Amino acid sequence: MDTLTGVEHLAEPDGFRDFVQARSSALLRSGWLLTGDWPSAEDLVQTALAAAWPRWASLRRQDAPELYVRKIMVNTFLRWRQRRWTGEIATGRLPETPAYDVFAQVDARQALLAALDRLPARQRAVVVLRYFADQSESQTAEAMGCSVGAVKSHAAKALARLRDAPGLSELLTGGVAS
Amino acid sequence: MNNEERRLADILHRITPEPPRRVTVEQVAYRLVSEPSGPRLGRQTRRGREPRPRRGGLSRAFAPALAAAAVVVVAGASAGIAVLANSHHNPPSASGGTPASSSVSSAPVSSSPSQTSSPEPTTPVTGVAVGPWDAQLINHQTLNQLSLDSADGSLYAYGTGTLDRIDPATGAIVATARYTPPLPNPPVIVGNTVWVVWSNSGGNVVLHGYDAQTLAQTASVLVPATGPVSTVADGILTSGPNGHLYVAAGVTVVEVNPATGQIIQRIYLTAGTASSAAVSPDGSTLYVGVGSSASFKLLVYNLAANNTVEGSSSLTSGGAGGDLVATSGGVWGITGSGMSEWTWFAPHGDLSRAVRVGGGGGGGFVSAPSYSGGVVWVGGTRTLTCASPANGQALATADVPADHGVAELFTSPVVAGDHAYSLYVNNQSQQSGLVRMTPPAACSGLSS
Repeated sequence: MDTLTGVEHLAEPDGFRDFVQARSSALLRSGWLLTGDWPSAEDLVQTALAAAWPRWASLRRQDAPELYVRKIMVNTFLRWRQRRWTGEIATGRLPETPAYDVFAQVDARQALLAALDRLPARQRAVVVLRYFADQSESQTAEAMGCSVGAVKSHAAKALARLRDAPGLSELLTGGVAS
Repeated sequence: MNNEERRLADILHRITPEPPRRVTVEQVAYRLVSEPSGPRLGRQTRRGREPRPRRGGLSRAFAPALAAAAVVVVAGASAGIAVLANSHHNPPSASGGTPASSSVSSAPVSSSPSQTSSPEPTTPVTGVAVGPWDAQLINHQTLNQLSLDSADGSLYAYGTGTLDRIDPATGAIVATARYTPPLPNPPVIVGNTVWVVWSNSGGNVVLHGYDAQTLAQTASVLVPATGPVSTVADGILTSGPNGHLYVAAGVTVVEVNPATGQIIQRIYLTAGTASSAAVSPDGSTLYVGVGSSASFKLLVYNLAANNTVEGSSSLTSGGAGGDLVATSGGVWGITGSGMSEWTWFAPHGDLSRAVRVGGGGGGGFVSAPSYSGGVVWVGGTRTLTCASPANGQALATADVPADHGVAELFTSPVVAGDHAYSLYVNNQSQQSGLVRMTPPAACSGLSS
């Protein structure tokens, strides 16, 4: 059996628990859109909350804890993407593809993730902040440390790519009057 | 926003799934103290902090050595724990919680369209080989990792916002009801009713019952808790061989007759707030987990001898625990979180003699032991094991493969007919769902 050898005492900031309980689901969903999987999303959210913990009192006074947490999430995500090698992986065998995919209806979730995966990291971050987290252009710009013009540019380019993404283009244009 | 942007926003909100579990303050605190530089408190910590370059799967979270050597006592939470610790030394007063005599309703609830719906078409059996014991992926739905159970030739699991009945022969979902679990707790099947925890907050636990065939809602039972319910609840609903339900509710465990909705008895704990419960197969012993963010205690009650306390022991590492499973030889459960999560077996409920029987989930995955087909199943991201319910000995073990270095998960195995079934997740290939397995003969009792 493992035995504990040390005890650390941390003072939980006022209101931190309420925030985590109320917002962790939304933050995790944003993390999932950014990273494409739940373990990474949890890692992202925990990283951001851990960074916010020591500054919590100040963030609450500024009434901006969620903005800060999202900012940390996006910046951490961008750092991860910078470090991640995205080159081709040589393999001795072809990936196994289930036959049912040929006949099944388009899986919207898979299509969405595949489309997001094709976006450069900053465009993906703008899509998540602007259109999922419902942040304004200026809030998005602040979170990403760029100008509002850059946010607009990233958004426009992202939309153009998503418009052409297999499986997503139909969802994006369907029912919209041209 | 223009129309296209609004449609994209709508797609993102509509398609993005709910997370399988929430992030907790304890996890964040644990991360703070688990980092090599120690707790990051105050301003200096932010500047000096190195970014975390690791991403996903097994690379995340805590260094095992640190995880084993540190525990967080969150000041706010510990204050609450202290209050509860005081309360359990003295029997809770009637004014301290909901009176035990509060009414419990179990009047059948008519099925409404909002509660039960026709199942969506599901992917037919494809037999995609995914792992050990001839594991074949037969259902591609996203299923809750701690939700699988079986009874009378059917499998039950939680989908995204649903309780599903699955045909083990085809993997198809044959009935479904709207349901979102408020905490980790697989469905509990008693007779022809599938029971789930509908809510667990404030001073009450609400259970819903569904017809085992149609999943039409047939009952709703309100169980008043004594004292606040546990904030680290993990498996509060279980059943005994007498067909009664046992509900961890505040500083008590409540035995409920599901047929009438009546409280049979309320067992007051000698320590803490109940976070999980399990009853031995012969109905003689009640195991109660008392959890907090930093520790886990196991209480043992002799139900056959006027609920006398037979034992009390604690895990001194790993933090909160739960998902108890009782067998003839003792009790099984999990403790810890992230990569430090592990599964243990405590002979006769004595944690001082507990042995590690599996590595658990980790990497954002969770795994809990299950007792089905006469053996105990322990899944996870590293090994898949069937073990003896009498002594915890592994009867057969298989390594869980990794897909290009990314962990795969086999969890909550149960037996139905001649096969075992497990929930499966592979983030590398974006595959998940239900797998059918043919374990070795050593996993005896499969045909039972």
